[in-house]
Amino acid sequence: MAGSDPFLDQITALLPALRAFGRSLCGDPARADDLVQDTVLKAWTNRQQFQTGSNLKAWLFTILRNCYYSELRHRKFEVEDPDGISASQLAVSPDHDAKLQLRDMSRALQQLPIDQREALVLVCATGLSYEEAAAVCQVAVGTIKSRIARARDRLVELLGDDAAQVVEPGSPLGQVDSTTTTGHTTRRTRAS
Amino acid sequence: MIMSDKIKPDQANPAPGEAAPEQVPDWLGNRLRRMFNDVMQEPVPDEFKALLKQLEDKERGS
Repeated sequence: MAGSDPFLDQITALLPALRAFGRSLCGDPARADDLVQDTVLKAWTNRQQFQTGSNLKAWLFTILRNCYYSELRHRKFEVEDPDGISASQLAVSPDHDAKLQLRDMSRALQQLPIDQREALVLVCATGLSYEEAAAVCQVAVGTIKSRIARARDRLVELLGDDAAQVVEPGSPLGQVDSTTTTGHTTRRTRAS
Repeated sequence: MIMSDKIKPDQANPAPGEAAPEQVPDWLGNRLRRMFNDVMQEPVPDEFKALLKQLEDKERGS
């Protein structure tokens, strides 16, 4: 396991974040994993372009995003998923409120325009700064902010104001995942 | 047990004194992070390990 190549080790460490980012973008676990595979290959091929010391996570997110956009261009018939059908596959075991909440969240997210979705996820979920998110999306920081504001307004509309009053479930989600993630692990990415 | 309660989405650029127009309410930020972390907690499928090993072997071989 212990790879001797530090670059590959760092990529390995970032795989969970890449998978999560990919899934937020496209809403489909198997397709997201395909994107991550493409990303890893591209990153490896172009590793000379990566400047040591800069943010590898942001660099990899940029590559993944580019992969996603170029895939969209080639699969126009599947560009949008207005009914949130593939997002609904995210619901693994809707056996308690927290899972239902996450499913609703995922569905609502998939209803956003892609530019708003990526801005919101990059800043609010992945922990990138506004500046890093702007670099990933190749737009100005102000654009990222206005996209986030629009995404927020739409999500509040979709999820309802009462979401604010919903008591967040006490279950520590970080610990229950072993029981809830098995549905995804059985999914294989499509051979490419 | 909401660990991320205190993390504001506008952490990068806190506008002192006034709420930034792009500020995301806590419940929404928490839910986004939870959704994201949920996937992060999943075990990485074996095919990724295989792919990385392949790359590493190729590197060694060349």
